[in-house]
Amino acid sequence: MSQDSHPPRIVCFMCNWAFCEEEMRIPYNVDVIRVMCIGRMDPALVLETFIKGFEGVMLVGCKPPDCHFVDGNLHAERAVKMLKKLLALAGLEPERLKLLLVAPLEERAFSHYAKEFSEEIWRLGNSPLKKDEFIANLTAAKEAASAFRLRVLLGREEELTEFMNAYGEKIPEEEFDALLDDVVKAEYIRYKIHYLTRIKPRSVKELAQILGLKPSAVLRHITNMRRKGMIALDRVEGYTPLYKALEVR
Amino acid sequence: MTEKPLKEVRKLPPCRAACPAHVNVQAYVALIQRGKFNEAVEVIRRDLPFPAICGRVCFSPCEDACARVNLDQAVAIRALKRLVADIEREQGRVVAQPVPKKYSEKVAIIGAGPAGLTAAYELAKLGYPVTVFERMAEPGGMMRYCIPDFRLEKFVVANEIAYIKDLGVEIKTGVEFGKDITIESLKKDGYKAIFIAIGTQTGMKLNVPGEDLEGVINAVDFLRAIALGKKITVGERVAVIGGGNTAIDAARTAKKLGAKEVMILYRRSREEMPALPHEVELAEKDGIKFYFLVAPKQIIGENGRVKAVECLRMRLGEPDESGRRRPIPIAFSEHQYEVDMVIPALGQVVEESVLPPELLSKDKRGPPLQVDPLTLETNIPGVFAGGDVATGPASIIEAVGAGKRAAISIHRYLRDEDLRKDRDEEKIEETTWVKDWRLLEKKERRYEPPIEKPHLSFEEAKAYLEKLKRQARFEAFRCLGCGPCAECLASMELCEGDKAVVDESKCVGCNVCAVICPVGAVKKNEKGVAQVNEELCKGCGLCAARCPERAISMQKLSNEQILTMILTALER
Repeated sequence: MSQDSHPPRIVCFMCNWAFCEEEMRIPYNVDVIRVMCIGRMDPALVLETFIKGFEGVMLVGCKPPDCHFVDGNLHAERAVKMLKKLLALAGLEPERLKLLLVAPLEERAFSHYAKEFSEEIWRLGNSPLKKDEFIANLTAAKEAASAFRLRVLLGREEELTEFMNAYGEKIPEEEFDALLDDVVKAEYIRYKIHYLTRIKPRSVKELAQILGLKPSAVLRHITNMRRKGMIALDRVEGYTPLYKALEVR
Repeated sequence: MTEKPLKEVRKLPPCRAACPAHVNVQAYVALIQRGKFNEAVEVIRRDLPFPAICGRVCFSPCEDACARVNLDQAVAIRALKRLVADIEREQGRVVAQPVPKKYSEKVAIIGAGPAGLTAAYELAKLGYPVTVFERMAEPGGMMRYCIPDFRLEKFVVANEIAYIKDLGVEIKTGVEFGKDITIESLKKDGYKAIFIAIGTQTGMKLNVPGEDLEGVINAVDFLRAIALGKKITVGERVAVIGGGNTAIDAARTAKKLGAKEVMILYRRSREEMPALPHEVELAEKDGIKFYFLVAPKQIIGENGRVKAVECLRMRLGEPDESGRRRPIPIAFSEHQYEVDMVIPALGQVVEESVLPPELLSKDKRGPPLQVDPLTLETNIPGVFAGGDVATGPASIIEAVGAGKRAAISIHRYLRDEDLRKDRDEEKIEETTWVKDWRLLEKKERRYEPPIEKPHLSFEEAKAYLEKLKRQARFEAFRCLGCGPCAECLASMELCEGDKAVVDESKCVGCNVCAVICPVGAVKKNEKGVAQVNEELCKGCGLCAARCPERAISMQKLSNEQILTMILTALER
């Protein structure tokens, strides 16, 4: 993490079709990485960017209805919604991630938006987390975002909320949001447990203390994780069972 | 930027498939989206040596074919082409690098019109020494001599021809075919192949009494005389007979030269008019009157000068072989229009006297020349013919298409290859990825390209150009990008024709990718695993970003590649 006196390092993933090169003047603390469509950004990659040390991530795409790939921008919106939830759980300000959708006739230049965002990040200052806590939380978030359950939910959101599922039901947006909240939370905690038990075998009590949860809740997650083959009993110390993470593919 | 040769591409977007020259519309529109205006002109020049000319006067079959009409209106392709060509020209003339002469066989091209010049352009690019012979003082054919200045400026034509000359094409003007040169003399001079593209130069006769009166001048002769700078006194009341673009051009020219009243007499109704609708609108704005369903019966004179045209009323019968309804005269419906000038514009015919008699077809009603429609061969080996001379009067872009086909045939003829094998024309298939139009959002066409440039100061002109560029990008964003990935060259440096690949061992068949894919390129196959249709895949990577098992990855811009880019950025 940089000192407060330095401008924050920011990475900007930009759709290939938003802002043409001649309109771009890039502030020196900002790096622009072009991708084919902003919807192409894998949520896990965005979190990886934070882990690598960038303090702010901006996603730039095209405003509807101008997406080159029909609704790539909407996919990006959904991903950002989920990522913000994950960031909040990990203890990092969700404002550090921003999605910007611009029209081809955008009045303001890119440098304008970039400056505005970097000032915002500057105001937020350094990450509120300590170094190892930061790594642990964000790795857990990243792994949750790369795992099947969240990704399938994200991939199906459009299908579930706008069309119908296999049983002919349409899920209202709020209901889906509540479902997403639950799943994000559960997945995040499970991958945090996975991360912690990867370092050394730990007991339920110890995990509950670190996570700030009730031991019963932790045990429920562990039972679930054992069933999925994410975790196994390592040994029993006295009367306390210690758990150790298993390799997940 | 590299492009697949047309032969390998089987599926083309409708605009490119409809264009007789197969200009890669999707690619240059995509380049305009990305703000790469000069690269866009380069892409047009691959298939078409006349971006600025076609940007002005093409009848744009691409816009008629545009898939967007199913939603709202076609993309303003012609206007975009004109804008990029004009921006390029105003930056200063682009000087092309001469192409080294790879082959020694000399090629003669007769006629420096669109067909001849395109053939010369294509053959010069292949590395042949090419000489173009032209009867008039300046090259350009009908583009220079028959389209009036207000539609197509002379310097625009000169500029595009200069580019062709840069490539190493020799243009000899003032040489008349049939008089100064013949097929035999050219063969004696060592030309191994000859392309006849003399077009149709003679205006068709009305075949009514009174045609020889003073004040009757054929539209082609009228327009050509004006282009040559000859003094022509137009009458006060002018009647133009015919409904094509030449008729409209002649009428508008007469009006601009000071005629008080100009009328267009056409024997069918407005729907059957072959002229471009927006040209008709402009003519109406100029105050030209249209009389439909009338045909001249005779021209009445007084002291050897035109006094009036006597016309018959018509009604429309059954459609004829051209698909338009045949006009049938109504008996005893004679009426007169008092005029002092008559301009027949009924179309043009080939000057048969200059052509060797063995080339002419026996059937007088069909096309004037016997030419193979695919290879453009005539019945004399080594002699090819195309453009208007073979098809009858048509358009610039069709002539360009003929010129390109002739160039391919001549190249193959000189290299002793099969002229008929694997011709591009036979393989083209239209495609668009859009299955359900209801899912797309409407976006009306608002692009109104300026016809005349305003007079502006330097600073104002800069701002004006910026505005034009942004409007063009906005319009280009309306393009749906129907064609497959290989069509779009705008992102070549980024994705290099990226494709998704499926790791079948990881795929669980959840179908998320099939739902996400915007173009329907990913489908579950009978084994229950995802399969990518490479012809459709545009390489956006949406499926790779969402695949729950991360079984789909991109060949070029993979997640690992993006991660490397992040790390490089960090080390900066």
